[in-house]
Amino acid sequence: MNDFIEPPYEATDTAVNKNRELPLIWLLPICALLVSAWLIYKTVSEKGPEITISFLSADGLEIDKTKIKYLDVEIGKVSDIVINKDLKTISVTAQMDKESRVYLTNNTQFWVVKPQIGLAGVSGLGTLMSGAYIAIKPEEGEKERHFKGLNKPPVLETNAQGKKFILETTNLGSMGPGTQINFHGIAVGQVLEYALAKDADNIKLTVFVNAPYDQFIRTNTRFWIDSGIDLSAGADGFKLRTGPLAALLGGGIAFRASSDDKTADIAPENTPFQLFDDYDQSTQVIYQRTVKVVMYFSESVRGLTVGAPVLLRGIPVGRVTDINLEIDGKTAEILIPVVVEVEPDRIIVMNKQANMTVKDNIVHLIEKGLRAQLQTGSLLTGQLFVALDIFPQSKVEFHQNDTGYQEFPTTPNSMSHIVDSAQAIMDKISKLPLEAMTTEINKTLASLQSTSKAATKTLVTADGTLGSADKTLQSADKAMNSAQKVLTTLEPGSTTQYELNQLLQELTQTASSVRQLTDYLEEHPDSLIRGKKEK
Amino acid sequence: MQAKTNALSQGFIRCDDCGFLVKTGNHSLSCPRCNSHLHARHPHSLQRTSALLFSSFLLYIPANIFPIMTVNQFGAGDPHTIAGGIVELIDSGMIPIGLLVLVASILVPSSKLIGIGLLLLCTHFRWQINARRWTVMYRIIAFVGRWSMLDIFMISILVDLVNFGEVQIIAGPAATAFAAVVILTMFAAENFDPRLLWDNQKNL
Repeated sequence: MNDFIEPPYEATDTAVNKNRELPLIWLLPICALLVSAWLIYKTVSEKGPEITISFLSADGLEIDKTKIKYLDVEIGKVSDIVINKDLKTISVTAQMDKESRVYLTNNTQFWVVKPQIGLAGVSGLGTLMSGAYIAIKPEEGEKERHFKGLNKPPVLETNAQGKKFILETTNLGSMGPGTQINFHGIAVGQVLEYALAKDADNIKLTVFVNAPYDQFIRTNTRFWIDSGIDLSAGADGFKLRTGPLAALLGGGIAFRASSDDKTADIAPENTPFQLFDDYDQSTQVIYQRTVKVVMYFSESVRGLTVGAPVLLRGIPVGRVTDINLEIDGKTAEILIPVVVEVEPDRIIVMNKQANMTVKDNIVHLIEKGLRAQLQTGSLLTGQLFVALDIFPQSKVEFHQNDTGYQEFPTTPNSMSHIVDSAQAIMDKISKLPLEAMTTEINKTLASLQSTSKAATKTLVTADGTLGSADKTLQSADKAMNSAQKVLTTLEPGSTTQYELNQLLQELTQTASSVRQLTDYLEEHPDSLIRGKKEK
Repeated sequence: MQAKTNALSQGFIRCDDCGFLVKTGNHSLSCPRCNSHLHARHPHSLQRTSALLFSSFLLYIPANIFPIMTVNQFGAGDPHTIAGGIVELIDSGMIPIGLLVLVASILVPSSKLIGIGLLLLCTHFRWQINARRWTVMYRIIAFVGRWSMLDIFMISILVDLVNFGEVQIIAGPAATAFAAVVILTMFAAENFDPRLLWDNQKNL
């Protein structure tokens, strides 16, 4: 049994020998070692930083599935999701690429992209298939590895070229972040955010206009709310303006450049602009200098609204800013003070007097007979406007004025004049003794009957007188002859006859055109108000 | 049992090619009948086996930590390691397939590595073991070797078959490493001479 210790073949032939006669085979493990080491080194070296991002919920996020993308390029992957200790937020651990090391700074923002259907279109539709992903907006700053994710996408998702501007409006309406900004119908930007001004008297919208369109925002550029349908009725009929469909549904803002601007007038970033409520308002020239005056009207101001125009011989020079009601406690007189804002710069003054202020000018004009009067702007809508004109005959009446503005004398409306005089006529008619008159007329008719009876008697006696008529006929013969002569002047070809013919033709034409008119009016009675329709 | 339990202990070397028995005293190392080289045991069996085993062990590491295949769905890649793939299969309810893959790609290669390692240690340190049982183990290892190529075959078939438009399957670096592990363990088992298990037993 012990021959195992020294068998004769032991040292030479069994494979259990320690001498390394075949070192070549050991190249294999060395190769394997090198390959494995290289593979592992490569992955480890390619491995970027590991970051954590906290979100309110992990909706749509999956471990090992959710990607982190910038400009749709994958730069990382979610490796773990845990609930934070505060039990309100979750924390996503993400394995980033090596290259992303550069832009993981304290200003970098992360948010989750999910499919969104907005009025401006559908975004993130690809995530329906691929699942949600975390988007990143790199910013420069200090190195950071723990981030707080945003609950909604940042106002600018990419570092696009363009400028921000401030628009001031009094009513936000349906506008909000993402509202499109159109320039001649091209979507060139969007609203980023809005904030109430400190004194709460207006809303400041921050808007972003992409390059190259931002160069069209210059000193006189006008922004207006392009909220779809703008229907306005004017003296020339109805006007309908529509914006793009998205604006129709979600509101939009449009702007247009002014031809007065040069490239030197390009507005710098964060320039404030006024946002007009509609296109028409934006087309009106804004005058910085306004003078407020108060006018006291005694008649009804039904149909006069704040904003109603003030026209001087048909040209707008201002608008109504305030309408009140006053009752005099002593005399029980009802007065309506209307505050009007006049823009004197609209009026070009010839022969300027150096020492005359605007107020002096107004006083001067009042002396000349300039009065305010309420007039109907449109019979359809019954809207009133304030008309200024010279009424030299009207008296100047001033009232007790507590408004602090200069008073402007008024004169009653001509329409109400007519109504008053018509009223007086109607009163007179109603005072007529109609019943007494009918009895008188009856009596008159009875007496007429007796008169006719007497007339028949007279005719009978006239029979006798006919004999004597022969003579009369002869004399009539002579008269006929002379009439013959007269008629020859009316022969065909004679001037008189020709003129008569002409007259008759004209009369028949007149008659036919009157018939046409009446026919047309029967078909289109509305044309009396609107005028004839264009064919 | 006597010591004369094998050819070598009785002074003979059997020619591997023609079965001719040669006296060991004769120092010519070739068979007098067929002229092939004579070895009492596989030459350098332990060295070769251990080198191959070591290489396969080294490659076994990347085979398990790297993705073995990437399923590209709608352009979004989804790399799987072997273990990750198994977990996913079991999670999605395909338990039998998951178990099959688990057996074929984790249990078999790792038990092969361990088994060959044990065989080597046993011969090297002359452990007194139940040689019969260990030989059975060796046979199992040698037999099972080729079958752990199963998932390599599966991947290569999938890569070719699943290639319609939106879904693509791409073999990862682990697939290569894994194939190398299987081949190397097969060679290792091939190079191991089970007779060495018996040579050192005193209790036969």
